[in-house]
Amino acid sequence: MKDERKLQNIIDRELDVRAGDRTYNRMRQIVLDAHESSKQKPSAARLTITRRLTMRKQMIKFAAAGVIIAVVILGLFEIIDTDNKSGIVLADVVRKVETSRGVIYRETHANNDPKYTIIHLSPTKYRSEGYQSGELWITMYEDRAERKRVVLLHQQKGYVKEEMRLTEEDQRILTNLMNPAKWVENFQSCDYRELGQKTIEGVLCEGFETTDPAFIGVDVPPELKLKIDSLVAHLWVSVETGYPVLLEDEATVSGKTSFESFDQFQWDVELEPSVFEPNIPPDYEQM
Amino acid sequence: MPGYYESKMIEDEFLKWKFKRGSREALARIYEKYVHSLLSLAMGLLNDPNEAEDVVQDMFVSFAQSADSFRLKGSLRAYLATSVVNRARDRLRRRYSLNRRMDKYATAPPDASEADKPLVYGEQCEQISHALAELPCEQREAVVLKVKQNMTLRQIAKLQGVSISTAHGRYRYGLDKLRALLDGEIGP
Repeated sequence: MKDERKLQNIIDRELDVRAGDRTYNRMRQIVLDAHESSKQKPSAARLTITRRLTMRKQMIKFAAAGVIIAVVILGLFEIIDTDNKSGIVLADVVRKVETSRGVIYRETHANNDPKYTIIHLSPTKYRSEGYQSGELWITMYEDRAERKRVVLLHQQKGYVKEEMRLTEEDQRILTNLMNPAKWVENFQSCDYRELGQKTIEGVLCEGFETTDPAFIGVDVPPELKLKIDSLVAHLWVSVETGYPVLLEDEATVSGKTSFESFDQFQWDVELEPSVFEPNIPPDYEQM
Repeated sequence: MPGYYESKMIEDEFLKWKFKRGSREALARIYEKYVHSLLSLAMGLLNDPNEAEDVVQDMFVSFAQSADSFRLKGSLRAYLATSVVNRARDRLRRRYSLNRRMDKYATAPPDASEADKPLVYGEQCEQISHALAELPCEQREAVVLKVKQNMTLRQIAKLQGVSISTAHGRYRYGLDKLRALLDGEIGP
């Protein structure tokens, strides 16, 4: 038995073949090109494509490495950089959002973007509704405890039910990536400066700014590790409630600039279980 | 947190989940994660670096093009290994049908740097690969899949279409023969 183990170890250790750098890179490019070209081929299953495109939105939240977290549209607001010292302590904001039972918010990707998403989030459940030009086109339900996802595509009158086959750790990352409370925590862990006060949507806020790339790098898996050229993220917190009102950032990653904005927050709301119960119209077909 | 970010290893389920949805990054990560172990597997099965490279590249290209139809509930690692095994079997069939025997490796020019070599491997790797080539295909597969890919006997049995006890026997006989072939040839 000992000899067997020894032989196994030798084989495992010595039967080791690695691609030389050029071969490695050449093969890698061939594989990625094959993937790209296959994506450009038209598919007979239009609904499948639609689903893929739809789901890509979800995937983008990972692949953009942090684009899930907030993006600032520079110049969207006039930043009043005063000498006023902020009365809000970010650590207090973190504590507040961490204990928030449920949160509702809106996500957009550009100023006046006709596409936006409304998200309902509880500690274990997630519902997003995607709108385009005011029309609901997708609804997604996730039950992280049960690891189930249901996606409704309203134009196609179809739905997809699938299992979320993630490890607990990956599930945790996914949950964090979608959790605004975690974004605030990330923000606080970065170097930031105070921006002073301004009124947003009628709410007096105090602002904070970070340019620390770690803001969108925190807790993102290494395979998504990206070269972040620049980042500006702004967090605006209500003076009255101490809850975030607006979180935005603009990030340039490998020369490409992304925008996201999160607003219309409703913090610490009791979300009824029915909110997360997939509501599949009877005329919808499983895709 | 940045340290965590650097060190966090993505799990295969996560990669499958994203690859299925067209993620180029997931594919790149799968390639990076498995290419070397699959090359080692292919080398162990084929005893030829050029064919090993071809097989692994073909497998990855086919895999890359399968995102739309990709459905996998089991292990990604086992799936990729099985794909390599199937392609290696095709190669071996063709090789035998041509009655061609590959006795030596194609080698890089003597002055080529490590980076220029198509595949990089050591002398003992060659010895093991040669010894493996002396085993019957089924035994070779069982040994390489168990030792290099950590596949279970159940997985190997399924792949070979035999019972678990048969797969176990092939593994045992293969290992015994390999021990005899390598006796005194390679270090501790």
